[in-house]
Amino acid sequence: MAERSNSFFRYLAYVIELILTFILCTTPGLLPEIFGAKPALVVCVALTVAVFEREIPAMIIGLLAGILTDLGYTDSIGIFTISLTIICFVVGYAVNNLIVAKFFNYLLYAFVAVGLLFMIYFLVIFVIPGTENMWDYFVAHIISRMVQTFLFSIPFYFINHFIYSTLSPEAG
Amino acid sequence: MKEFFQSPKIKIFLSVLLVLIMLSVFTRNVENNIISATFNTLTYGMSKVTAAASSDSSNKSYDELQKENEELKTANRDLRSRLVDYYEVKEENTRLWMFYDLKKKHEDYALIPATVLRRDTNDEFGSFTIDKGTDSAITVGDPVMGENGLIGWISEADVYTAKVVTILSPQTSIGAIDKATGDTGIITGSAKYADDNLTMLSKLTSENKIEKGDIITSSGSSGIYPKGMVLGEVTEIGYDTYDTSRYAVVKPYDDISTIVNVAVISDFEGQGEILKKESGD
Repeated sequence: MAERSNSFFRYLAYVIELILTFILCTTPGLLPEIFGAKPALVVCVALTVAVFEREIPAMIIGLLAGILTDLGYTDSIGIFTISLTIICFVVGYAVNNLIVAKFFNYLLYAFVAVGLLFMIYFLVIFVIPGTENMWDYFVAHIISRMVQTFLFSIPFYFINHFIYSTLSPEAG
Repeated sequence: MKEFFQSPKIKIFLSVLLVLIMLSVFTRNVENNIISATFNTLTYGMSKVTAAASSDSSNKSYDELQKENEELKTANRDLRSRLVDYYEVKEENTRLWMFYDLKKKHEDYALIPATVLRRDTNDEFGSFTIDKGTDSAITVGDPVMGENGLIGWISEADVYTAKVVTILSPQTSIGAIDKATGDTGIITGSAKYADDNLTMLSKLTSENKIEKGDIITSSGSSGIYPKGMVLGEVTEIGYDTYDTSRYAVVKPYDDISTIVNVAVISDFEGQGEILKKESGD
């Protein structure tokens, strides 16, 4: 019973975290732009949760984060939903079967995942439609967004590590 | 690995992925779809509250806000005064552009753009006062141009203002020529036609070939007005019963009673030369 209750509160904590980060990112004037971009905090939450959870919960958190990111800026489900769902599922699987969820491993994985995510975004939104001056946009905004998302994911790693260790089934 | 691909987890993952791809295609192609509409409805209230909170939330103290308010007031004053300057420059620019073509055609003209300050309500012939005077090198007798042709001459000039008598006035006497036929006459106003923004080309010979629609220009015979300045178009041809001469009614291309922007020709090639010769003789 305690295990179930812990899991419920843990997932609730993740969902609240997602909503709060979504508000932070979308409310005008709350987060300052640094070098022409803001970090994608919702992505930070999804990537860090995936390190501690199993494949399916990781995938669901990735899916929710993706939907928030996509529908928050456009009216359609798209790149972020699909990419984050895949990335979080793969990470959830890898952490449980192939690698150990250590901070250094997380840094490597987050670096690759953030890079991959924004490169897919850039490819689909700018490169494939052949947008003019797309590399100017990449240099002015995308790089900054990638770096900030990666850096901001570090505190979220520790927050979610704390949530997981406090509310994990074993803790119950 | 084989077990992984046969596990229920991968089946769930692939099913979710498939559904997501279908939803992606659906939401991308259907405008105002139910998914985005639901999402927008759910987040509308939240966004409204957070946006309002973020716009209201100010960590500044009363003193800081007061200081900022003073700074904004000063900036506002500065911008207002710049705006006035901007409108003045813009107006001046419009006036200059109006006469740009004329200046290009006649490089010898010294053009002084001016604005009508007031109109003489006691004068039925449309005389008015402009905002430039002797300070801008304007002298009595200088021709005054409208946007489309000669409209009058300077009758009085103070330091900062000058009075213009129009071609509708009987005081005006300008040597004129019909461009099409070569017939000459004198442009002078008439009380009969002035109200209708019309003037007269008088002293025409009985053998004249003037026709309606002919364009009348200054002949430059006196040296007071430059040669070839458009005065108007013939609208009617009449016969003077008193001195048996013929005349033509001429309609200026500018509406003299409403004109606002004018240009004074303070100098041009050949100005006053004929008069000098005549007085010398």
